[in-house]
Amino acid sequence: MFKGKGVSVGIGFGTAVVLKEQERKIEKTTVDEPEKEIIRFKDALKQVEEDTQQIVDSATGTEKEIMSAYLMIIQDPTLTVETENAISNLKYNAEYAVDIGFNSVIQLFESMDDEYMAGRARDIADIKNRVLAKLANEETINISKLPENTIIVATELTTSDTAKLDFKNVSGIISEIGGTNSHTSIMARTHAIPAITRVEDATKIFRNGDKIAINGSTGEIFLNPTQEETEQLQKLQKQLKEETEELEKYKKLDTRTKDDYKVELVANIGTPADIESVIKNSAEGVGLFRSEFLYMDNENMPTEEEQFEAYKKVAEAMGDKPVIIRTLDVGGDKEIKYLHLEKEANPFLGYRAIRLCLDNIAIFKIQLRAILRASAFGNLSIMFPMISSIEELREAKKILEECKKELDGENINYNKNIKTGIMIEIPSAALISVGLATECDFFSIGTNDLIQYTVAVERGNEKISKLYTKYHPAVIKLVKLAIDGAHSANIFCGMCGEAASDELYVPLLVGLGLDEFSMNPNSILKTRKRIGELDRKECEKLANEILIMTSAEEVEKRLKEFADK
Amino acid sequence: MKTEKVVLENETGLHARPASELAKLASKFKCNVKINANGKTIDAKSILSIMSAGVKAKTEIEIECDGEDEENAIKEIVEAFKNKFGE
Repeated sequence: MFKGKGVSVGIGFGTAVVLKEQERKIEKTTVDEPEKEIIRFKDALKQVEEDTQQIVDSATGTEKEIMSAYLMIIQDPTLTVETENAISNLKYNAEYAVDIGFNSVIQLFESMDDEYMAGRARDIADIKNRVLAKLANEETINISKLPENTIIVATELTTSDTAKLDFKNVSGIISEIGGTNSHTSIMARTHAIPAITRVEDATKIFRNGDKIAINGSTGEIFLNPTQEETEQLQKLQKQLKEETEELEKYKKLDTRTKDDYKVELVANIGTPADIESVIKNSAEGVGLFRSEFLYMDNENMPTEEEQFEAYKKVAEAMGDKPVIIRTLDVGGDKEIKYLHLEKEANPFLGYRAIRLCLDNIAIFKIQLRAILRASAFGNLSIMFPMISSIEELREAKKILEECKKELDGENINYNKNIKTGIMIEIPSAALISVGLATECDFFSIGTNDLIQYTVAVERGNEKISKLYTKYHPAVIKLVKLAIDGAHSANIFCGMCGEAASDELYVPLLVGLGLDEFSMNPNSILKTRKRIGELDRKECEKLANEILIMTSAEEVEKRLKEFADK
Repeated sequence: MKTEKVVLENETGLHARPASELAKLASKFKCNVKINANGKTIDAKSILSIMSAGVKAKTEIEIECDGEDEENAIKEIVEAFKNKFGE
């Protein structure tokens, strides 16, 4: 048995598909019959073309466009001129000819000193690898079309991997790196796929075709599980299923404490496709719609029209229920080629989110206009991320007003009373929350970043991850400040970090008076059940006790005691 | 042979979508389609040639169609440039 860190609960049985770069040695030889070698090369290229055509046929939207351009490159005779010359004239073997022929095209693009063209160089290198794999008769893995019950084994899944991943056939994910809040883990939980990370050398230990069973709660991985192990896991799987079924009855209910105090339970989403899960889990709205996917999965700046369509889709699907769209929240740690962001020494303290938008008003306006236009089709609100001062909020609102005027001039319909709110994720914002609350309509506390900025611990840094804790009394005091600040101006305060669905933390948040809890759609029912078991007055008492504590350990211990009671 | 001059209006140049739209459109016709820009002659049916030419916004471009359906080809291609390839 192997062990890693369980990051998404559930039991998964399946067959391993290992994603890793093939290391390939290319022999240089000469051939006697170049005509035959040309045919061998063309057959390999043809197979790559057919595989790509299949992806294009099943893709939609932006992905279809990207893959169509990729297909055109494969079909372009210019791509293979050098390769064919190297075979016909120099009598090289197909492998070596592909290597030098494609490299000449790759170099041409790389030398262009243009981010976009460098991206094409990577596409061509990718085509080259796929042709070489076909020449060697290797199976290439198409992750957008996987066999049933696949257990994915990877170093780490990238955003572009997960954008293509064939989720319905994935029964588990094992990765070598990543923590609870890494992209892969969040994605796995959203799709309710069991996942385990930090399994050292996983891509070396497991091989394609291995039979594997995983337990996403304990982090246990069974290679070729025995009859006994399989039965035990099946039993657990049945138990988990029963628990899920038990939660079904909470779908029709409001979210209320035992003493009838109502809070709002809403969902975090990353793309319009997540709406399915939001509705299935009966969320009362969307508390955080991250708009980054539009920018990250795109080769160009998404147009107003593209953004409008995405926001409208969500607005319409949710009807009267509120949907909060967060404006662009990226910085130098995320690679978005066309934004030409510089690498920074401290990207989390750098040029990002609202700072970037206020400095690139044209980009910001495209998004604000798209949200405003979509607001005519549902109940949308706008949320600005990374606000650290009141000036930023004023500036952002000023630009929003300009966009409204533009739309008025163009006779385009939008919700004139659209609400605007801010993320509270920087300690300075929590500390001036009373003032901020008088100039906006709501707050949403982003705990993941608030913790990082409060205790000065980078989220992804494993060496200091022990110091990163939501139980730190300073974090709790800032949360209280934000909630009290909101209430002093009669606006609501939500929370959209992982803490909002943490079983231990929820009673504390109820006690502090949090109005809205926004979380992964799969946590909604469980949290609704938990809130239904709580008594608000008891939670208030608990919060008061905790507010005078000085150590995170003490806080965690007290919250555990409360939960066990 | 038909030639006509246009100015490239797409802000990001003859990149990505415009490049593939141009290659797709040019490939529909039987005639040869070339574009002359920055002193270079580019085969408009090859997406790689178009992209590697790195034509920037506001560049003046001469379209050259030569062959049996040159008349229709030049008309549609000029139109596509003016429509910014739908961007």
